[in-house]
Amino acid sequence: MSNGTLIAEAGGAGERLRLAGRPRLGEALIRGALIACGWFVLGTTIAMLGFLARTGIQGLSEVGFTTLFASDTWKPEAGSFGALALIVGTFASALGAVALGAAPAVLAAVWLTEFATEPVRRAYRRILEVASAVPSVVYGWLALVYLVPVFERLAHAIRGEDAPVTGEGLAAAAFLLAVMIAPTVLLLSLDALSRVPRPLRDASAALGASPWQTAFSVSVPYGWRGLLVATFFGFARAAGETMAVQMVIGGARRLPRDFFFSPTTTISAQIVMDMQEARPGTPENNVLYSMALVLLVVSVLVVLVTRMLARQQTR
Amino acid sequence: MSGKVSLHRTQRAGSAREAALRRVLGVSAIALAAAYGAGLLFLLARGGSRLWSLTLYPTPLSGVDNEETMRFVVATCVFGIAAWTVVAVVEGILARLGRPVLPRRLVRGTIVAVALGGAALGRDHLPRFLIALPSETTAGGGVGPEIFNTIYFAVLSTAITLPVGVGAAVYLARFAKSQRFVGAVRMALDTLASLPSIVYGLFGFLVFVVQMKAGYSLFAGAFVLALLNLPLVVGIAEESMIAVPRELDEASLALGATPVQTAFRVTIPYAWPGILSALVLSVGRVFAESAPLIMTAGTTISRANAYSLDPFRGGETLAVHLWYVNSAGLAPDRADVSAGTAAVLVVLVGLTNLLASRFARFGGAEGTRTKKATR
Repeated sequence: MSNGTLIAEAGGAGERLRLAGRPRLGEALIRGALIACGWFVLGTTIAMLGFLARTGIQGLSEVGFTTLFASDTWKPEAGSFGALALIVGTFASALGAVALGAAPAVLAAVWLTEFATEPVRRAYRRILEVASAVPSVVYGWLALVYLVPVFERLAHAIRGEDAPVTGEGLAAAAFLLAVMIAPTVLLLSLDALSRVPRPLRDASAALGASPWQTAFSVSVPYGWRGLLVATFFGFARAAGETMAVQMVIGGARRLPRDFFFSPTTTISAQIVMDMQEARPGTPENNVLYSMALVLLVVSVLVVLVTRMLARQQTR
Repeated sequence: MSGKVSLHRTQRAGSAREAALRRVLGVSAIALAAAYGAGLLFLLARGGSRLWSLTLYPTPLSGVDNEETMRFVVATCVFGIAAWTVVAVVEGILARLGRPVLPRRLVRGTIVAVALGGAALGRDHLPRFLIALPSETTAGGGVGPEIFNTIYFAVLSTAITLPVGVGAAVYLARFAKSQRFVGAVRMALDTLASLPSIVYGLFGFLVFVVQMKAGYSLFAGAFVLALLNLPLVVGIAEESMIAVPRELDEASLALGATPVQTAFRVTIPYAWPGILSALVLSVGRVFAESAPLIMTAGTTISRANAYSLDPFRGGETLAVHLWYVNSAGLAPDRADVSAGTAAVLVVLVGLTNLLASRFARFGGAEGTRTKKATR
């Protein structure tokens, strides 16, 4: 006698299997536990978004939406909440990181999938996997010790010896973030390009295209959505990065005097710094959740865009 | 991928300009990887000197609870890892030469013997840095408690991620009836995966420190890290369960097994290598994460319970220590302490990556899978 059946259902992407059948007495409990696991994931996500939204909106209403985005003086303890510097710092450093880091990573991925031999590809992957897993504080510490002095000299070379510039600032942060996101972008791009169907490449070669033409006229155009998704993830990681940026951005709570080479701050760095001082429940504290809400909205937007792109890809 | 025939050789070569462009692209790509590789080696060398320079005398350290046990465990790990590395290299060379591989049991026995024997003999001559307590203002501080906390965090958060992650994955892959529920959970996981870690930190702070008034604790940090890792674990586990051939499940059901028996004796064992590699990767992220831990587990080490197993005390990990030493530390040798901490972190992360790729490779071995699945 059979105690269960396997049912194949049409799912979102292809077929989905389902184990069906009446559970025995003890097994109902186990199945209940499994369902609870699913609900746990859903529940904590909703709880997390809810908690943050509630406190963040409370902070926004206490401080006022316009003051938050109109002024650049961030001194919560003195009652002035101008978050312009934080927002500008976050977006400028993340965009700078993508501008510097995404293109080399994507091009390297193209070279690896199209022109490199298998052993080279494997070794390359191994190095980049470790590099992408290296803790961000390690990158931050390296940059603090070895990169900031270089940028200090660079700043003086560009702006003049006596100019009030430092190595810490958006330029150093953007460069550091570029180094940090490049491995992630590269690995994701590799995955995207490896999904290009083999027959497409063969057809291109059969039509007499050179490898270079195949790479840039067939593979890249086919996989461009995946490459874009990789870049978006790089941006999201750069925008959310906390400790590494905090170590090289300088920590001045205002817009940078010199856009590239003077201390400023970012949303996440400021949250970590101020969280240790602000008492819970006060406006100083709640406004930090409002800032986190900005980050959250950005990352949810990234998810939506990537989902849309992925859906178009499968079509 | 290895089975494919390369078409490049038979293709039209392309113009001289294209060949030059290809060379430029190739050289730049290799330079990129070489830069990262050199950076990693530099980290190891720079931090290794810290371990080396302080390794040559015994490490008396009394008055700390469980310190002796901790020292034995660290020694076992150090010698075990060393033995494993040597064995792996030897096996690699043998395989390259075409010689038969060493018997499994002999290899395992040797590693265990070396680990325990080395620990028994050499536990008082370990690198001081790996054992000593951190010091706030004087030189010579170590990272013993930080290493302990890092590992302990990995254990605690895996204890949450493993049951919840695998449970949710089984449910999604084999039991869920409602298509909408599956879609909602996937959406939730996608959202979780995209959130910056600082947002997790804020959530943990709000729930555990503010609402429950529990103060900084390892448990809060581990819970937050478990949440952070859920998308990764559920995603990979579900994927490897979907990849289980339906014939196996059908055979199990045809033999009279119930759905739950089938899931736990066939589906999960078959997908186990994938699940394991996901867990190892998530442990790597536990080692690396710092921002959420600063906000949930604090930045302190207390001398009295540096090695306590109580999950409701606070404590910093290696990554947090690296940040703390540089932003608030006053020790004169903090450059060396940072370098040493960074090197230990890189070793830990490298090991987890190696392990994860090993498990992922086992996933391809049909033999181990079917043996487990049909036991």
